Amino acid sequence: MLAIENLRVVYHDVISVLNGVSLGVMEGEILIIIGANGAGKTTLLRAVSGMIDFYNGDIIEGDIKIEGTSIKGLDCTDIMKRYGVTYVMEDRPVFWYLTIEENLKAASFSRWDKQVRGDIEEVYEYFPVLGHLKNRKAGYASGGEQQMLAIGMALMTKPKILLLDEPSLGLAPLVTEELFDIIKRLNDSGITIVLVEQNAHAALNIGTRGYVFETGRIVLDGKAKELLENQDVREFYLGSGEKERKSYKDAKRYKRRKRWL
Amino acid sequence: MIDLLQTLGTGVLVGLVYALLGLCIVIIFKASEAFNFAIGEFLIIGSFLFYTLFFNETIPWYKALQLGALVFLFFSFILFYDKNFRLRIALPMGLAAGLLIFCIFFYGLKFPALFASPILRFVIAFPLGLLAAGLVGAMIERVTIKPLLGRSPISMTIVTLGLGFLLRASVQLIWGSHAYPFFLDLPDITLEIGELLFLSDPIWAGILSLLIFSMVIVFLFRTRWGLAIRATSEDQAKAMAFGINARFILLIVWGISALCIAVAGIMISNFGALQVGMGFVGLRALPVVLIGGMDSIGGALIGGILVGICEAAAGAYVEPLGLVGFKEVAPYLLLLIVLFIRPYGLFGTVRIERV
Repeated sequence: MLAIENLRVVYHDVISVLNGVSLGVMEGEILIIIGANGAGKTTLLRAVSGMIDFYNGDIIEGDIKIEGTSIKGLDCTDIMKRYGVTYVMEDRPVFWYLTIEENLKAASFSRWDKQVRGDIEEVYEYFPVLGHLKNRKAGYASGGEQQMLAIGMALMTKPKILLLDEPSLGLAPLVTEELFDIIKRLNDSGITIVLVEQNAHAALNIGTRGYVFETGRIVLDGKAKELLENQDVREFYLGSGEKERKSYKDAKRYKRRKRWL
Repeated sequence: MIDLLQTLGTGVLVGLVYALLGLCIVIIFKASEAFNFAIGEFLIIGSFLFYTLFFNETIPWYKALQLGALVFLFFSFILFYDKNFRLRIALPMGLAAGLLIFCIFFYGLKFPALFASPILRFVIAFPLGLLAAGLVGAMIERVTIKPLLGRSPISMTIVTLGLGFLLRASVQLIWGSHAYPFFLDLPDITLEIGELLFLSDPIWAGILSLLIFSMVIVFLFRTRWGLAIRATSEDQAKAMAFGINARFILLIVWGISALCIAVAGIMISNFGALQVGMGFVGLRALPVVLIGGMDSIGGALIGGILVGICEAAAGAYVEPLGLVGFKEVAPYLLLLIVLFIRPYGLFGTVRIERV
């Protein structure tokens, strides 16, 4: 469905963040992308959604294709309207000074029609707590409610592919669990999801496939279950690998092997 | 007592015009966090456009041709951006727009001949003039402000500073720097209650300003476009991520702002005469928005009225004591006092702090 071919992205003409990333997203799956800070996960989502211009970034090589047509260089509103790709930015992108209902209406701006009212009700069904707070300013809602609102706003744009950037950022484990259940439900209703996460364990549990990023490259990929079992992932991202100290030589070998692979 | 009431009333009427000026600054500041220092020049341009339409003022062909060519270049340039529009629509549209502008400025619209009654002429020329001013504002935004989207707001502010000089020089080139007599000939609604006397012109100015002000507020708070503008003014990146075209919103905001400034400009010209040097009146918006709070629309209204009253009071009570010219300074003194007490202005937004 979504194919990324050898993508290279540079910020401010000097800072190279993605160095040749190729990956594919299949229809109806939950794709998990994990990796350390600065690995380029957010940059990848920005590039796909067309927001990269806004952050002074440039795609200098490679291509992004949806169903075979290139969307590289299109405006982000165009990408959203024509191809149904919605990007939920990290850190709860809601409009603080608008009420929750106004937030949902604002998000449906690009496709204003008769069904907006019904769609808002549908979002309230997914997230009952938003329905109770609909006249409150979004800035006064709690972190979990704000994140739910952000996902609800994304739903208002009728996405085919939903790019979620760290939805669990700063949320309590229980709230995260609830949120991931909802993401699973959204996926069941037919939305393809690309999920960037630091909370690798929870994410890989609901995902179908996963990629591991490191300094702008993909170093590992596979089924989510396999990644959960993988020794390297367990050690570096889940923190539950073999407890005994490894020799420094082996660690270096791991790095070197990954780099030349 | 009568004296005081008279002063207050006059102050409020003029203050409403100032409030409109403040509103123009506030909506641009909210949308892009930039301060529009070119407000005085926008004011002159709006007034001159209206003047051209209303008084059938024509300019020599070589100047009209330049304007037409400029508009043609602009329109084809903008439409060239979209691949689907190229050549088939962009060039003819640009040519048509350029030709239209040339004809309007060279031949004039002959409104005085078409419509005998000055009121009818005003009713037709006023919206047209405002529309033209809005279009010019939008054009200026497209060329100068749009490339800066996503950069620091301070760079936009500096651009408007330079823009001010450029626009002022352009207006001087086209219309010259002498004063044009400006008389709208609106129906006389001079108000006389007992010993109070309010002249017709300020009353018209107050009414029209209030009307436009409330129309802008209805637009901002009751329509979906207004909602999109409010969303964009909070965070451009977020708005773009949710499918609101922030660039287009910025265009609309500049258009509305230029339109409101034109109303204020026409009203202020109606008090006296129209000339290029009038632009400094636009800077009266500075104390208005700073007193009211840079990001508060209601604050602009209150700030405008306060500045108007302050000016009228200074003119009535302080100037007779021998301090000639104190009227111009009084609003800035008020500004200083307000800023000492509340640095964010009287109605600056209470920032939401999550605990």
